[in-house]
Amino acid sequence: MIEFKQVNKFYGDFHVLKDINLTINQGEVVVVIGPSGSGKSTLLRCINHLETISDGILTVNEISVGDKKTDINKLRRNIGMVFQHFYLYPHKTVLENITLAPMKVLGLSEKEAKDTAKHYLAKVGILDKAESYPSQLSGGQQQRVAIARGLAMKPEIMLFDEPTSALDPEMIGEVLDVMKALAKEGMTMVVVTHEMGFAREVADRIVFMDEGRILEEAVPAEFYENPREERARLFLSRILNH
Amino acid sequence: MLDFSILTNNFDSFLEGLKITIISSLIALLSSFILGTLIAVMRIAPVKLLNWLGSVYIEFIRNIPVLVIVFFTYLSGNFGGMTAGTIGLTIYTAAFIAEAIRAGIMSVPKGQMEAARSTGLSYGQAMRMVILPQAIKIVIPPLGNQFINLVKNSSLLAVVAGGDLMYQGDLISAKTYITFDTYVFVALFYLILTIPLSLGVGFLEKRMAKSN
Repeated sequence: MIEFKQVNKFYGDFHVLKDINLTINQGEVVVVIGPSGSGKSTLLRCINHLETISDGILTVNEISVGDKKTDINKLRRNIGMVFQHFYLYPHKTVLENITLAPMKVLGLSEKEAKDTAKHYLAKVGILDKAESYPSQLSGGQQQRVAIARGLAMKPEIMLFDEPTSALDPEMIGEVLDVMKALAKEGMTMVVVTHEMGFAREVADRIVFMDEGRILEEAVPAEFYENPREERARLFLSRILNH
Repeated sequence: MLDFSILTNNFDSFLEGLKITIISSLIALLSSFILGTLIAVMRIAPVKLLNWLGSVYIEFIRNIPVLVIVFFTYLSGNFGGMTAGTIGLTIYTAAFIAEAIRAGIMSVPKGQMEAARSTGLSYGQAMRMVILPQAIKIVIPPLGNQFINLVKNSSLLAVVAGGDLMYQGDLISAKTYITFDTYVFVALFYLILTIPLSLGVGFLEKRMAKSN
């Protein structure tokens, strides 16, 4: 479904992604972990073309992402994204945040879009906040709205870029629960996170990155019990033993 | 002592001038707002040629006296005084509005555009529906100040026989030879327009500060 073949990316002289080869299949939950600056967010952002790759091939559903002929807006309809800082539209209500793209991009009527939005708001457990503005919500609630906003486009793939890193510890659980439910339903998910518990429980595969390279790819049990790479071992010991 | 007979004898002329000043300012405000927004978006759009065109417009227009611009539009020979003046004001004010709006757009977090684009909205849609509404809210106070400047600058219509307040003042003083008093009344009429505007801008600024 998502395939990186020998992908490289540079910011000027800085080599951010090095020879990335990665295949993500339909229904898979892949969690990308690694120290900050390792390129994991960049990797994620390449998938929906928020970042461009410098060379190699990156395809989503066999469509080349960087190709000039590719209609990127069409491709993005199928890929939802959730950001660390939510980025809800502050001038719109929760409901309007969610209905905007379905109405403008998919051409849904206002009623259809509202019904869809309410369906997903109920799913993330905050239907009662439909008429609120983002500033009136807690961080956890805002992030759940952001997830509903992504889901309302009925994408096949959801990308999560450190979705809980900006949240108070108390609110992390509610967001992870929504993500777990989504994973159970078979959503294809690529998640950049530092939540090791979530990775362990939900991931089909862990991808460990450092300095722009994928150093290790393994199922969670294997990765956590017995990481092959020394760097992964060090990373795990630092974040698990404190 | 101020000669009030100037006011009472020429009241209709003053009112006519006031009307034209208001109409010209409103038209110039609306059109420079639209033109300015367009140029602001050109300056930041992901197309080099548009960035360049936007910058050229702003740098040229900002650095030419508005009086000269009004002369140019008038001397083009296509328009009467009021129209030429209003077009000149629009061209000039749009450059300042563009800079204000560009600053507003830049102050909206980059993630807003990314979030909107990631849902499949085009650049234009995201700009129109997500970024500009937030940017314009931020720039309402500076835009208000531009509007006050615009009202004052509209006095340049007088030099191209635009029929505005200043022009009526010129006619009245030429007729009565009571120059000083005439322009005192002209100034008072401008104040009637600009002081409420100024208070309005202050009010908006306070309200904005609260909502942030």
